[in-house]
Amino acid sequence: MKLNQLVDKAIVTISNREDEKKGENLEQKYLRRIFVCGIISLLLVLIIAYTLPYTILSFSSLLEYATIVALVIFLFILLIRYFTILVMAYLYINEYTFLEDNGFSAFVSIIVPVFNEGKIVKQSIFSLLNLDYKNYEIIIVNDGSSDDTKQIAESLVGYQQGKYQKIKISLINQPNLGKARALNAGIYYSKAEFVLCMDGDSQLAPESLRSAVRHFKDPKIGAVAGNVKVLNRNKFFTDLQALEYIEGLNMARSAQSYIRLVNIIPGPIGLFRRKAIEQAGYYSSDTYAEDADLTLKLLAKNWKIYYEPNAISYTEAPVTLQQLLKQRYRWTRGILQSIKKHKKLLINPTVNIGHTFTLWVMSYEALIWPTMNIAANAFFIFAAIFFGFSQLIFYWWAGLAILDLVTALYCIAVEKEEFRLIWYAIIYRMVFILIIDICKTMSTVEEFLGIRMTWGKLERENTSESRNFVTNTN
Amino acid sequence: MELIPILSTIILVATICTFILAIGAYILYKIREGRQQRNYITKPASVQAELVTPADAQFAQRERAKDHYPDRKVQPGISRDSKIQERQPSQSRYTPEPRGYKYSEEKISKERSKVEQRLSDENKFLKYTSDGYVTPEEDRNSGAIKWR
Repeated sequence: MKLNQLVDKAIVTISNREDEKKGENLEQKYLRRIFVCGIISLLLVLIIAYTLPYTILSFSSLLEYATIVALVIFLFILLIRYFTILVMAYLYINEYTFLEDNGFSAFVSIIVPVFNEGKIVKQSIFSLLNLDYKNYEIIIVNDGSSDDTKQIAESLVGYQQGKYQKIKISLINQPNLGKARALNAGIYYSKAEFVLCMDGDSQLAPESLRSAVRHFKDPKIGAVAGNVKVLNRNKFFTDLQALEYIEGLNMARSAQSYIRLVNIIPGPIGLFRRKAIEQAGYYSSDTYAEDADLTLKLLAKNWKIYYEPNAISYTEAPVTLQQLLKQRYRWTRGILQSIKKHKKLLINPTVNIGHTFTLWVMSYEALIWPTMNIAANAFFIFAAIFFGFSQLIFYWWAGLAILDLVTALYCIAVEKEEFRLIWYAIIYRMVFILIIDICKTMSTVEEFLGIRMTWGKLERENTSESRNFVTNTN
Repeated sequence: MELIPILSTIILVATICTFILAIGAYILYKIREGRQQRNYITKPASVQAELVTPADAQFAQRERAKDHYPDRKVQPGISRDSKIQERQPSQSRYTPEPRGYKYSEEKISKERSKVEQRLSDENKFLKYTSDGYVTPEEDRNSGAIKWR
């Protein structure tokens, strides 16, 4: 690689306008919401208190029956969800296995937004130069970094040696406007018909671009979601996340891809048709999950979204509990904000039934699923401590652990992943999922109350030992 | 001693500990985040950014040098399309400006004059080759009967 090549510098003006709702008093809105919910809850309690003496139930038995009925319904939905996803993921893998390489290879711009990624931006670019594809350019967008990212990125600008030819690397230095606007700046600047958006801390596997671009031969495909894998493994927390990415996220994405309705194109790797992004109105910075928001906008415009398991992006997972909570807090609130933006379509299936279905699934997974999981665990703890039914919690755990083990085995076999990750499935639901669900529920409450939040920034480790990409040197 | 009661106790303790850990960690996270809250900055309608691109002169020089090599090997099977694809970066320079951007005047006028010169009426057809073209004289002398 030849660093510090001769460059041209120019000052450009970027449009920073976005549609914003004006004249809305948010504080009043949230206060009104709390008041209405309080009144409804009070009414419900009064109705129960008034009608209970007319029934054969006592207050404690009412609580008991209600919890058992809720748990049975939860278990029923959980099993149906699991097996539906498994069957659909299996059908998708069958279909995918026989998919032929159609030779479609259009020019692609890779947009790399970076904010204080000085430690790892070089490795990300090296991985891009090693892509098994001929026809692409790299656009780095420095979103007002305060570390040495700008200097490092500037040293990379030029025509660097890729796998087959020289690859053009450009850089846009903009003030700190957020990831969504950084990606938009890159997309505006790009002249390509297809753009690949990724994270500055992610590294792409060599075959990623080649395997993802071919799906665009179908003009109905508006975007292709990639496969995100954890880069910094061999730690308890990151291994659990590696299993979660394989079992929880990728399997669901495979199932959704069977009906071409992937609900979130992951930030670390997403390939888009420019026309589709233009129709959807680019990335928006009014939510904290710009990837989920854009995906929903694409689905609303009737674009199909496919999942490509061989388009792999290795990304750094949080290593501490606090960082993990920070990440999941942002994801949950961002997804809820995105769902809220599309709430009209949530109750109106006549516009786009696929989109409505996707929104319901997302709402269920963001709101009902974590609440039910916490409620179930709380019930079993309560039953064990106060009534001595300690075996109930064991059977609950054993049932879910077997289900998780089977799913993990299937997913690891399909993705040819590390076999040692399977054993994490034993504690996955009882420890990891419970922590995540508590965080999700808290975030949901905060979103409901309209508490302000910041984007937050994860600390990077510079895990160069995790995946060494061979780079060409000039 | 039976196994199930022991496992039940382990799982019960683990679940309670996870509950406490998760709630504690969340509260701690909120306290730490609360200290770092920043004020929201008002958004301007447009912002100035710096665009750093490779110096095209350097690349063009390299491309010219490449073209002058007499012994440049062309492998059989490489079509004209793939050659065009390989040279995409240098060609893309003459495609219209990216949407959403305005160059500063000095830079843009220099660039535009080059593009205009290249795409002027006199020059715009020069990039096409005469491969496969048969002159009218040759065509007439070929002896083939033509329907008129």
